[in-house]
Amino acid sequence: MNIMLRRAVIGVIAGSICAFILAHTFNYATLGFCLGVIVGIAYAVASGTKSRTYADGMMTAASFGVPLWVLINVVMLPLFAGETPLWTAEVMRAQFSALVGWTLYGLALGTLVQVLNDVARRAFGEERVLAATPREVKTRVVILGGGFAGVTCAENLEDTFGADASIEIILVSDTNALLFTPMLAEVAASSLEGTHISTPLRTTLKRTKVVRGSVESVDLNTRRVYLESDARLPSRMSDVGAANGDKSSGEGHTLKFDHLVLALGSVSNYLGLENVAANSFDFKSLGDALRIRNHVIDVFERADAEEDVKTRRALVTFVIAGGGYAGAELAGGLNDFARGMSPYYPNISPDEINVTLVHSRDRILPEMSEGLADYALRHMERRGVEFKLKTRIADARPGAVVLSSGEEIETETLVWTAGTAPHPLMQTLPVERDKRGAVIVDTTLAVPNHKGLWAIGDCAQVPDAKTGKPCPPTAQFALREAKRLAKNIYASVHGKPLKPFHFDSLGQLCVVGHHTACAEVKGLKFSGFFAWLMWRGIYLSKLPGLERKVRVLVDWVIEVFFPRDIVQTIDTEVRAGDTGTRDDTSRVDERDRMSEAKGAYAGS
Amino acid sequence: MPVLNSRRGVVNLMVCAAVGAIGGATYSHVTVASVITNILIGALYGSMFAVFAERRATTPGAGLLWGLSFALALWLIVPANLTPMLSGAGQMGMLDAAQAQFPALVAYLLCFGFPLGICLGTLNSFIHHEQEATRATNGAQADDTATRISNRVMRDAAQEYMRFQLVRALVTGGVAGIVGGWAFGKWMAQVDFFPLIAGIVGSESSGVGMTLHFIIAVIIGATFGLLFQKDVRGLGSSLCWGVAYGMFWWFLGALTLLPMLQGESVDWSYTRGGQLFGSLVGHVIYGLLVGLIYGLVNRLWIAFFYESDPLNREPSGVGERSLRALAWGAAASITGGLLFSFVMYATGALPRVAALIGGDSPALGFVVHLVISSLIGMSYGILFRREAMNASAGVAWGLVYGLVWWFLGHLTLFPVLLGKPFVWTTEAANLGLPSLIGHLAYGAATAIVFMLFERRHAAWLRLDPRLAAREARLQRPLGTPAPALWFFILVLGVLLPMLLG
Repeated sequence: MNIMLRRAVIGVIAGSICAFILAHTFNYATLGFCLGVIVGIAYAVASGTKSRTYADGMMTAASFGVPLWVLINVVMLPLFAGETPLWTAEVMRAQFSALVGWTLYGLALGTLVQVLNDVARRAFGEERVLAATPREVKTRVVILGGGFAGVTCAENLEDTFGADASIEIILVSDTNALLFTPMLAEVAASSLEGTHISTPLRTTLKRTKVVRGSVESVDLNTRRVYLESDARLPSRMSDVGAANGDKSSGEGHTLKFDHLVLALGSVSNYLGLENVAANSFDFKSLGDALRIRNHVIDVFERADAEEDVKTRRALVTFVIAGGGYAGAELAGGLNDFARGMSPYYPNISPDEINVTLVHSRDRILPEMSEGLADYALRHMERRGVEFKLKTRIADARPGAVVLSSGEEIETETLVWTAGTAPHPLMQTLPVERDKRGAVIVDTTLAVPNHKGLWAIGDCAQVPDAKTGKPCPPTAQFALREAKRLAKNIYASVHGKPLKPFHFDSLGQLCVVGHHTACAEVKGLKFSGFFAWLMWRGIYLSKLPGLERKVRVLVDWVIEVFFPRDIVQTIDTEVRAGDTGTRDDTSRVDERDRMSEAKGAYAGS
Repeated sequence: MPVLNSRRGVVNLMVCAAVGAIGGATYSHVTVASVITNILIGALYGSMFAVFAERRATTPGAGLLWGLSFALALWLIVPANLTPMLSGAGQMGMLDAAQAQFPALVAYLLCFGFPLGICLGTLNSFIHHEQEATRATNGAQADDTATRISNRVMRDAAQEYMRFQLVRALVTGGVAGIVGGWAFGKWMAQVDFFPLIAGIVGSESSGVGMTLHFIIAVIIGATFGLLFQKDVRGLGSSLCWGVAYGMFWWFLGALTLLPMLQGESVDWSYTRGGQLFGSLVGHVIYGLLVGLIYGLVNRLWIAFFYESDPLNREPSGVGERSLRALAWGAAASITGGLLFSFVMYATGALPRVAALIGGDSPALGFVVHLVISSLIGMSYGILFRREAMNASAGVAWGLVYGLVWWFLGHLTLFPVLLGKPFVWTTEAANLGLPSLIGHLAYGAATAIVFMLFERRHAAWLRLDPRLAAREARLQRPLGTPAPALWFFILVLGVLLPMLLG
């Protein structure tokens, strides 16, 4: 027998019997009886009892006598009678018998429904509840990239699809955490602990399956993603290449997809300067920031023991290539860090410390207005940062950097923030790209002519639906693109129309040293301490996860009362071109692939 | 009959019959029926209670709640309705008949509900103790290490909330009792009640009365720990156990023991009950504070000694869970707050709410009301997460919380915030009855929406069987005395202001 029908029959019987109590206590007996039957059916259908839970059923049903009395006798009946509800103590006391009636009715109903359920169980067997068979995965969404764009897209897909088990979301990332890049300079400057600005993907994402690994290639025809051989996939998740007759990628490293989101971001672009690549630090990852921090401490330790003034000066000279946000923030932070720890190194004179920012244009921070950029430059100069404008890095070797002007700076530290390019994987895809190498998508973020292929963030050229102009490759836009994309994937899965992407920039923020920042918010310009407070407040609120917010806040408070930490934690003699760690290996490989791909692209 | 299938069940049945018989004999003092008849009826009732509550009265505290709620149900059926009907004195459910039978209500609760519940709960707690020990031994003897560790963790997770520790129960309960006693003492000082308490030791001094009051508050708080330690799971349910326990102590303490210890005759009439209505509200406030603080300390205890262990940690941290509960509570309260505002608008209460911030316009009152609603909704989220295993349980907890806020908010905090002394009289309760309706509607609506949020989140968790299992263990299971609590608090909470007014 149908469960609902069985329960409804029980409700009719129990409700009809118990309704006599209501009929006795209501002013209108018929009304009381009818209500008793209706409530009885509703209770029996909704409750579904377990075997012999008489006490629970009796008391629960009786408890509901009170709200039913309030709802029906005190509120509804006067309203239906066209009276203004007075709800005074006298009026409510006049309804006392109905209160008692509802309570006794509940006691009786709870007991009787339980009795009848037990009888029905004996006569017809247990209620046949459909076994909760796990729903088959029908659609698999694979997101490549664990940066702002990828993780935000995964979070929004989770929200949009809810607990729909027919949708599987997989995120492939070469790290297991989302790095909050706006605070990366503070890690390099030892103001924040490195892990405090990284949020683990596995704790952030609720139902997305996280795969740590790098992508080797994507086959859009067979709709498969091939991961590098060191990536490990659970057997249930992997789509074995061998099954397709393709053994090149090995077993367990292939992911089949229905929808693929390209959100791999960008990598450093050394513009073909191999010597520079081999002798400089990258500034893209948490590992990069930690290496820079430890290297700075290391050169101070060495400089303090160095007798030769020239060598000592070279050790405490730091060159930063690129005057965009990353370069300016790093220069400001490193300058504070280096000059702040000099008192602990008595053999190093503060005059010997040098932080130089090399920038190819005539002013730093080209994304900001000229006034603010000038303010930032003047402020940093006052604090000891030297600027080489309209100058490029031409070459580099161990111990020296050569500038385009021919000048040579003796230094052990060159940090590269001067150029980025979309992830090299984009070059390998048979899709249309812009001159940077970013995948061109339409206003709905879909890659034209490739159903189920989407791209967002730094690796995509996204046209704004209103202006038609390409959106800038910033985190601010990547977040909004990811939100729109999640909705569009949902719409695509459910056969609904896709919506175009449009977003008006909120503004820019850049911190350039102690208590100083520049900010442009919706055309309004701020600088100095207030802008610095805005920077900290806004980015703290944007930092994912309460726990990380608390940790960063504590770090900032500690910094007010105690000096920055100068404990050296890792071996620093590893540069971007070295092959000491997995990260570095993959980065060099990426760069090689990028060069090859660029050549191929140029050739085509 | 399952209770007769085991030796232990038969023993329970016989003991309850005996306790019921003694209760019947005691009840003879307030009824015209003969002692023999009362003893027989008491024995019959005791036996029935043993049958119905055998699987539910698993601890003394749970037994007490089931005992009290069964006694209240019996009073509603027999003295309040059947007796007047059968004697031809009136129709079913008449207010005057119920008022005349108020002494019988007190007697039913104290002569039947209290002793039978404690007795059956105590007897059953020995069985459950043995079962737990057996489960623990089986878990520890598992073959492989992984299973042993898993069993240990699972056992801890299930049992830690309810592990009985005498020192924890007494100390935490005693501290909670002091705080509750302090709040209750504010009213006592206001109405000069302390000399009345001092009469227990033949004194008229307020200082002696206050000292005695705090000693009693500590003792009741400690007994709360002893009785309910094993039933305290969440803060919300603990708060509600406290309210029920406070109500019970009004019947036992203010109406019965106080006059007895003063050497006066015990007066269980509804008029005496009406005179002591302020004491009833005081007991409710005392109880809710005892329950809340006890639950809070218990929660901190578990968080520090158990949940901080990496083996037992939940995937999401306390901060994240709390923030989520606060957000859900605030969002859920919008529905409840809007519903309540209809009642306020209809009864013209909005200008009075605006007076809280010095205004008098209904629009301002509406805004202030919504802000207060959000705060209370947030507290509901923090207190009652994981308490509702289904929709009806969610609504029931919401109704109880709404009722509690009628006592705490309308009768107590509202006048205090307006700079007036709080008046815990039947007249004040009469004037506040419309507000009671609003509070109940608010509680129910907020609880439903909150439960929908919880369900949506749980649906995500169910996609991962390990998370689903963790979540299931932390949810309130079937078989706790929650239904008895809902019935006892809701029915008495609405009935008493009407009966005593």
